[in-house]
Amino acid sequence: MKLNIEGLLVYFPYDYIYPEQYSYMLELKRTLDAKGHGVLEMPSGTGKTISLLSLIVAYQRAFPLEVTKLIYCSRTVPEIEKVVEELRKLMEFYTKETGESNNFLALALSSRKNLCIHPEILHANIVVYSYHYLLDPKIADLVSKELAKKSVVVFDEAHNIDNVCIDSMSVNITRRTLDRCQTNVDTLQNTIHKIKETDAAKLREEYRRLVEGLKEANVARETDIYLANPVLPDEILQEAVPGSIRTAEHFVGFMRRFLEYLKSRLRVQHVVQESAPQFLKDIFEKVCIDRKPLRFCAERLQSLLRTLEIADIADFSAVTLISNFATLVSTYSQGFTIIIEPFEDRTPTIANPVLHFSCMDPSIAIKPVFQRFQSVVITSGTLSPLDIYPRILDFRPVTMASFTMTLARTCLCPLIVGRGNDQVALSSKFETREDFAVIRNYGNLLLEMSAIVPDGIVAFFTSYVYMENIVASWYEQGILENIQRNKLIFIETQDAAETSMALEKYQEACENGRGAILLSVARGKVSEGIDFVHHYGRAVIMFGVPYVYTQSRILKARLEYLRDQFQIRENDFLTFDAMRHAAQCVGRAIRGKTDYGLMIFADKRYARADKRGKLPRWIQEHINDGSLNLTVDEAVQLSKHFLRQMAQPFRQEDQLGLSLLTLEQLESEEMLQKITQIAHQT
Amino acid sequence: MTSLSEEVLLVVKKVRQKKQDGTLYLMAERIAWGPEGKDRFTVSHLYADIRCQKISPDGKAKVQLQLVLHTGESTTFHFANESTALKDREAAKELLQQLLPKFKKKANKELEEKNRMLQEDPVLFQLYKDLVVSQVISAEEFWANRLGGINNTDPSPYNNKQEVGISGAFLADIRPQTDGCNGLRYNLTADIIESIFRTYPAVKQKYSENVPHNLTEKEFWTRFFQSHYFHRDRINTGTQDIFSECAKQDEKGLKTLVTQGVKNPLVDLQSLEDKTLDEGYGICTTQPSTSNANKSVKDSSNSAIIKRFNHHSAMVLAAGSRRGELASDQASETSSTDGNSRDSDFFQPPVKKVKLQEAIEFEDLQRENRPKTVPLNLKKSDRYAHGPVPLQSQQYTTSQDIINSVNYIRHEMASYKPSLTQVRAQTLCAQQRV
Repeated sequence: MKLNIEGLLVYFPYDYIYPEQYSYMLELKRTLDAKGHGVLEMPSGTGKTISLLSLIVAYQRAFPLEVTKLIYCSRTVPEIEKVVEELRKLMEFYTKETGESNNFLALALSSRKNLCIHPEILHANIVVYSYHYLLDPKIADLVSKELAKKSVVVFDEAHNIDNVCIDSMSVNITRRTLDRCQTNVDTLQNTIHKIKETDAAKLREEYRRLVEGLKEANVARETDIYLANPVLPDEILQEAVPGSIRTAEHFVGFMRRFLEYLKSRLRVQHVVQESAPQFLKDIFEKVCIDRKPLRFCAERLQSLLRTLEIADIADFSAVTLISNFATLVSTYSQGFTIIIEPFEDRTPTIANPVLHFSCMDPSIAIKPVFQRFQSVVITSGTLSPLDIYPRILDFRPVTMASFTMTLARTCLCPLIVGRGNDQVALSSKFETREDFAVIRNYGNLLLEMSAIVPDGIVAFFTSYVYMENIVASWYEQGILENIQRNKLIFIETQDAAETSMALEKYQEACENGRGAILLSVARGKVSEGIDFVHHYGRAVIMFGVPYVYTQSRILKARLEYLRDQFQIRENDFLTFDAMRHAAQCVGRAIRGKTDYGLMIFADKRYARADKRGKLPRWIQEHINDGSLNLTVDEAVQLSKHFLRQMAQPFRQEDQLGLSLLTLEQLESEEMLQKITQIAHQT
Repeated sequence: MTSLSEEVLLVVKKVRQKKQDGTLYLMAERIAWGPEGKDRFTVSHLYADIRCQKISPDGKAKVQLQLVLHTGESTTFHFANESTALKDREAAKELLQQLLPKFKKKANKELEEKNRMLQEDPVLFQLYKDLVVSQVISAEEFWANRLGGINNTDPSPYNNKQEVGISGAFLADIRPQTDGCNGLRYNLTADIIESIFRTYPAVKQKYSENVPHNLTEKEFWTRFFQSHYFHRDRINTGTQDIFSECAKQDEKGLKTLVTQGVKNPLVDLQSLEDKTLDEGYGICTTQPSTSNANKSVKDSSNSAIIKRFNHHSAMVLAAGSRRGELASDQASETSSTDGNSRDSDFFQPPVKKVKLQEAIEFEDLQRENRPKTVPLNLKKSDRYAHGPVPLQSQQYTTSQDIINSVNYIRHEMASYKPSLTQVRAQTLCAQQRV
């Protein structure tokens, strides 16, 4: 159908439309009009991707000078491929409707092996790739540096975007890294030596260039051609490379010294935690390395590798890592912490020193993106609470909205199970984690559910270790055997290949009617990347609240930073983080309006307002007072009722006019009024 | 029918039946009895028709053997040779004992098939009630008309029947019980053994290798339940048992399954992420991994349990669908050839493409293409099958009513006499019609 979104002609490749899609496009258009950033939460399975693509493509066609490019980032390869398929569908629709084959060029980068050459990126109207191509400075510099300012950037599935940012800026150094770096430096030295004999002019030319400084890069940045690189801060662009590392030999010598210093730091007996300035002070006192040459390390190494014409940069990953670390630690006095651990907490007898250089501020990595591109849209099915993202990513959105899922029948059924049938409080909290009664009641919940839920059930645990212990305990108590009478059991392991196979078998068992249970882990790959549509997931059970492992020093440092810099209380952040993962897990089961599924939160803490209130609006609004602190039996009764209702045929006619609209219905005054209520502004 | 070329296995003389002396013959497929001095059998039962045999208690005056047929009828033989009566009877009994089970399977199959047909087809069931139960025709006649098919003249419906899978919990059904003197009792049934064999072909192989040459059946299963193989969560104590090989085979099978990878790219966790961070980058806030060598015994026993459950479920699933596997493999192969030729511009494996398109499809956003139909909402399928009958229950005709009316009509017809004098002339008829 052809839509009129506030005066913009939008081709939408379907015969019908969901009201929330219309509402979403409206908000999106306002964001683009304002040339600002947006945060939009819309439930999965309501056609978010096609709404995004339809609107932005239409916008690009209508205002080719205002928006030149769409950069669509998603997280997993299948997600990226799905976007491409949807785009293909949209383009076919355009061709069919307009009768002309359009000249839109879309490009997808998925996985490094088909990493494309960047001129093509520059000419494409739409680029689809993974987050890293934009957020990881090491790759962004290669791929995305020259993307036009008038691009619209979309981060889909963005609920974990802060972690991606942090990951791309953090470095871990072990003894092995240092050894490999040592080998790299030796190789560099030899190569320099050889070149000096054969082609000394080359090194002289490099020296000359370095005296000139990084002016070129500076000019480029000032004239606004490049996306800024957080590893290459503005200040150093205006200066020449310091004399102490200007010649190739001096630089190699410098790296050796730095390496020796790092080695000495790893010879610790106790945990050390310090800030970047403390680290710089120490390195100056011990080996007289100044801050300035350190800042140029990454750039200087790149220049050297280019000069030496080294083809396979991958071999030099260790020395690149160290030089990146040198630049980061000397550039950012805030937002990072250094933690040196001599051994793993679990194995205090085995020396395995690691230097963690951890980024605690996700805004550092994403800042260039917000600064450069006129509109950046952060969207996902679960972004609650919406206001936390602008805070931790440090940007000012022009639109923030959460959309509900309009439903002709309530196809999701969130239940909070807080007690066993014996009134024992159910919780995964640390104190009762080993409690026999809790584990038994959890087992009982799964057993009862396995008897009444058709086809597939997915159960998530808070961590892998927790799941292992519970599974072992259920096995000893014979609970698993009883479950096997109803369904086959598959369990996620730490091996990705093994788990993939288990997943496929799980789907096979759901497909052929036998029914199966998948035991899995929140924050794991399954919980983030696998959808359980229709019969692949008729119920999701979340055992416990998936808090992050709080004993980690890195996490503690991050929490402190959040408190000091962003005034976000530790508990608020931890709860937010736990709830977004819980929402991700339970959201796996509902992938559309014709789908249906139970969402069982098995922990009494979910009933509290501070937890419940952090769930996405589209889940929250279906939690009523009657489903707050259920016993296992009560949950089973409610589930039976729900499943029986859902098993009735559900036809298009049932939805039409309510949660599914024709063009005429959409254009009616009454409906347009209703639609304004779908978007919930914050 | 009664050709004597059949192999006669046992002949017992002086057997009385219905107070008549005669001779009992046990042959390859049937048991027969003929009165003395005559060359034909008055009693003849196929073994397949016999449900069971009963014998009179020892010490009773008459030494008898009774055959109970599936139809419920029974035939009693009285062994009358005074000196060897008991011995004769024992011989006949022993032989029958060996013969009957062989035929039983076949008979059961037939019976099951009939049962299934009746259950699956309410119309047929109603017919059966009307005709056989009310004794309009005999059961044999009914089935003879209904299905010459049962006896494999038309095997297709039988073969299309879904094969019965294996219960996922069959190992749970053999929970050991203590026998009171420091021992454990495992109750094994033929079904369970069948399940074990179907699920774990390696065990079946061991069984056929070792039983009965090296081990008795009992010994074999005793060892099975003692083995580390059965108790996969226990850490191997290094005992050499015949099942260690099975465990190795399983391990190998699992590995090949894993390395083969998965067909559906959307569940392939390994290719999920576009780019994992380079070594050395990233944050590790997760708990320290347990994949290290220094795992505790408990940890590795836990992961052994998890492995075992995955393997067990996969094997049970495979055992249930082993037959369907071939067909689906072929299907995916053919689709792959045509998929590639169709889609030359974009080299995606066709499975992937199909899965992706499935994943992005919104069926409710599209106009339904198929012609609009009104789904039939059947509240009572038997009423539907019977056609429009008045709703009042008192007017509902029972089978007996139908039979009565049939009889009544038959009776009327028998006594029907046309009164030819009353027939109207043709011209008159024509006039009336106008």
